[in-house]
Amino acid sequence: MTTGGRHVDPNRSARIMVVDDDPDTSLILVRHLEREGFVPVAANSGSECLRLVRDGAIDVILLDLMMPDMDGFELCRTLKENPATAAIPVILITARDDIEARAEGMRLGVADFLGKPFSRRQLIACVRAQLEVLATERKTTATLSRIEDDGKQKRNGR
Amino acid sequence: MPEKTAQPEEQPDAPGGSGAIERVLIGQHPAIVKLRALIAKVALGDVTVLITGESGVGKEVVARAIHSLSPRRARPFVPVNCAAIPRDLLESEMFGHERGAFTGASGSRQGLFNAASGGTIFLDEIGEMPMDLQAKLLRVLEDGEVRSVGSDRAVKVDVRVIAASNHDLASSVRKGTFREDLFYRLQVVPIVVPPLRERRSDIPILVDHFLGLIAARGGGRQITVSREAMVHLWSYDWPGNVRELENMVERLAILCDDSVIDTPVLPPILISGPRPPVIEIPANLPAAGINLRMIVREIEGRYINQALKQTGGNKQAAAKLLGLKRTTFDDKLRRCGVIAPGGTDDKEEP
Repeated sequence: MTTGGRHVDPNRSARIMVVDDDPDTSLILVRHLEREGFVPVAANSGSECLRLVRDGAIDVILLDLMMPDMDGFELCRTLKENPATAAIPVILITARDDIEARAEGMRLGVADFLGKPFSRRQLIACVRAQLEVLATERKTTATLSRIEDDGKQKRNGR
Repeated sequence: MPEKTAQPEEQPDAPGGSGAIERVLIGQHPAIVKLRALIAKVALGDVTVLITGESGVGKEVVARAIHSLSPRRARPFVPVNCAAIPRDLLESEMFGHERGAFTGASGSRQGLFNAASGGTIFLDEIGEMPMDLQAKLLRVLEDGEVRSVGSDRAVKVDVRVIAASNHDLASSVRKGTFREDLFYRLQVVPIVVPPLRERRSDIPILVDHFLGLIAARGGGRQITVSREAMVHLWSYDWPGNVRELENMVERLAILCDDSVIDTPVLPPILISGPRPPVIEIPANLPAAGINLRMIVREIEGRYINQALKQTGGNKQAAAKLLGLKRTTFDDKLRRCGVIAPGGTDDKEEP
């Protein structure tokens, strides 16, 4: 089963989706991500996000909650309910002190929050943390299958 | 001395050990679920394991889990903190010494490798081990023999070695402070434990787990955490990782009344957090002066945020609340709304 972002070439640039219906905010996020060497994938609506997520291996989704024309929670729920996209970490962009939004995000299983306004350094650190843990998980999986293969070889008497 | 009479709690080959591991290595994050599977697998063999992870992530918990799921579980688990034992004592601590081996060695003494016989030795902070001792450890790993200080006789030992480091040993190898051959010999199975801030979704699970332990220990008073307080616990970066979270939960459980941990009992660091840069706006001009541009941006940023929050993100309405034209508002939002105002940590690259 390909769960988005989990079985990809670790050497390629990470693909970060930016979901924001505001072109200005989206552009700033995209520029910062590009400058870090990531491949940004911009979606300006929930349906576009769902379509793009199906197409390409997305490692992390940055989802702006303060979008007037879209229910970010609804989108998050849809992503988390679909087994093909549930494993992709979602970073929710909220107002810095919006406790209710964060509580709801926690319930929906988001990976992290980014409080507006944030610095570029905070944005990158937040994205990197999710990429790090994805890399750790991949390493663990690789070690596990290597041990299992070794075990099989031994049982087969070589 | 190793206890020869200790009985295994379960049959060593019982496959149901994974239930036990879920009680010690808590969490549902995919990285932790995978880690548990790896531990269960690694425990069955005898290979050397190298555990890497920041301070407080639970490296010893992982080592103990491997031991307790292994066929060696009835034999001793001996933890050694290589950074806590003085350098010149470490060798005799690990391998023992003969009578008169050095000044003050009035009797012979068994080392920790002998004490761990048949079991597991856990060498924590292995990166701090002196180079000469690294060479001796390598020999132990290759030959399965230890030589105590002052002895010319090597003795066979049957010990599984699990090592741990809070930094990437590969970089120590590059810097020349850690032997490359030992590094490769240790990391037959590398295990990486992620920091807590990379798996925040496990924070509520861990908090519940620690509160459950506290309730079980002290008269059964089950403490809960308010929604808001949990959001703060979730949002904090936890540089001391799970250990820091555990200590904090214990502290909060003592501080709270009504069996509910609510925001007022949280220490300020958990609420403001180290994340948002806070810029002070002095009422009077201090003698040291101010950075006016930074302060103006901070004020703009704060009001823009509040306006967006009040209007549910409607920019037209937010602009109106601030008495700005939509175009001016958009301009300011571009500067302040996304990128933190006055972010001194946010130098633009050339």
